[in-house]
Amino acid sequence: MGKYIQKRLFKGAITFFITVTLTFFIVRLMPSDPATMLMDPRMTEAQRQQMLMDFGLDKPLYIQYFTYIFNLFKGELGISFMQKREVMDIIMDRLPWTLLLMIITQAITMLVGIPLGIYAGYRRGSVFDQVTNAFAIFGISIFVPWLGFTLLYFFGYRLGLLPIGGAYTPGVEGGIQYFLDVGQHLILPIITLMTIYLANYVLYTRGSVIDVLSEDYIRTARSKGMEENRVLWKHASKNAMIPTVTAAGLMLGRMVGGAVLTETVFAYPGVGRMIYQAVSQQDFPILQGAFIILALSVIIMNILTDVINAYLDPRIKID
Amino acid sequence: MKNKNNFLDRWDKEIKAFFSHKLGIAGLIGVSFLIIVAILAPLIVEPVEGYGAFEDKLLKPSMDHFFGTDDMGLDLFSQVVWGTRASIKVGVIAVSIAMLIGVPIGLMSGYSGGILDTLGTGLTDIFLTIPMLPLMIIVAAVTESNSINTVALIIGIFSWPMIARITKSSTLRVSGMQYIEAANSLGIKKRDIIFKHVLMNASTPIFVNLTIVMATSIITESAISFLGLGDPTTHSWGKILHNSYQSGAFATAWWYSLFPSLAIMFFVISFNFLSMGVRDALNPKISRE
Repeated sequence: MGKYIQKRLFKGAITFFITVTLTFFIVRLMPSDPATMLMDPRMTEAQRQQMLMDFGLDKPLYIQYFTYIFNLFKGELGISFMQKREVMDIIMDRLPWTLLLMIITQAITMLVGIPLGIYAGYRRGSVFDQVTNAFAIFGISIFVPWLGFTLLYFFGYRLGLLPIGGAYTPGVEGGIQYFLDVGQHLILPIITLMTIYLANYVLYTRGSVIDVLSEDYIRTARSKGMEENRVLWKHASKNAMIPTVTAAGLMLGRMVGGAVLTETVFAYPGVGRMIYQAVSQQDFPILQGAFIILALSVIIMNILTDVINAYLDPRIKID
Repeated sequence: MKNKNNFLDRWDKEIKAFFSHKLGIAGLIGVSFLIIVAILAPLIVEPVEGYGAFEDKLLKPSMDHFFGTDDMGLDLFSQVVWGTRASIKVGVIAVSIAMLIGVPIGLMSGYSGGILDTLGTGLTDIFLTIPMLPLMIIVAAVTESNSINTVALIIGIFSWPMIARITKSSTLRVSGMQYIEAANSLGIKKRDIIFKHVLMNASTPIFVNLTIVMATSIITESAISFLGLGDPTTHSWGKILHNSYQSGAFATAWWYSLFPSLAIMFFVISFNFLSMGVRDALNPKISRE
């Protein structure tokens, strides 16, 4: 097990390194020159040079790259073009909001989606299965921003039941009240982000339960006279979980994409919305930093998923 | 000769299975409908551009404007119809590029083994982990003044990992079969085995995944356009949603965001149904109820 985790960490490190390298060169090699973005036409030539030096943009590309990597190890991601603040500080202000949204969504999705998928797969062809399936197909096809709009329109504008954006009401402070306020702001973004992943979970779990149920060991268990409930929830489910957990790891990356859209629609102050804002302001250090941190979160969560999987499936540990 | 007949019989069964799959047929009809609309767009409705008349601003759906008008006074029906064309175009370009990159990488790692396998599989795994949408957003943001082709290109370049993975797993399955072993022992060139035998037999799961990539590429295009990074001169469903969000009109004019969203859903559901029909027709374990 220890060796497996070691191997997994090494792979995670390589993934992270490639992510950083890729984003660095994408941002630097593209036609739009970050230096001219910063310039104010009223600047003198000396001020121009000074500014380029401040941001390290006067050095050759490979020096810039190594400096970037070196600084990354010190936890520095450069300075925002627009806000003139450390990118790391800006991201750290916002990351908790995104993690809060994503972790709650992930937890609810797994708690609801997996049992639903197992039962639908078990009762394949039944009304329950067909209804679940119809909803799941609807769910994977929906366009996230539109779901956001619709929920905002009904619950925010029409009914006035829930806040129409943000993550908290400014001024509400102190204990339970703040807690409730944040919770209220989270409801619509969670539903929006959850729908698509819930649907994916249900379909994955359903598919793998159907596969597992036709295996020989299930027939053996049944022919031994084992109770159906035990066959389903103990034997079939545990094995059906393996592909589901693998898929869960891969879906995390897509959930980050969904978070960008969801946070944008709900004006939610997370890293996703920050990407949207940085895009419209052409603030490349922010864009680069935000992506690196999001990718790092996904890589870490993926390692955790794989370790859980290795725990579930003894065959993985051997290799 | 006898072999050929067997081959035909084999496919005959699958075609029959597909045509008894209700969702698969619905998907096929939906996809055909979208392609027809995309091709015939100029005959259906004239494209709109610029600014409409002031009194035409945000009109509800009516006989004059089936889907209403936007905040510029432009007909939304026309924009949605022309958006179909953009979507099909983006989908076809993106899928072709994803296939051109993904299939060779998948074949390479599935069939050759050794260092090429480690490299190909490792690369695929890494790119499957990295959050692709934000990465595509960044690329779209740095390539200024995107045309619809650029957007399609970006989507294609970053959609290959899924194809590579499925190509690899089907290649692995096929290359373990006896007829490949037989071809090997007959001394047929490795390249010929890969392209003639392995790829031909692994192509159906790849096709199923291409339709899924088609569906996701439209969601991605819509997301990129929704964030304001799409082609400003081409009508696309995501662009309509971008306009409705930017102008704030989505809070008052429900039709503004509803129709393009329904179009996106129709597109995605049709392609998903089609892929389900094909998959189930090829995999009797799942389809046998």
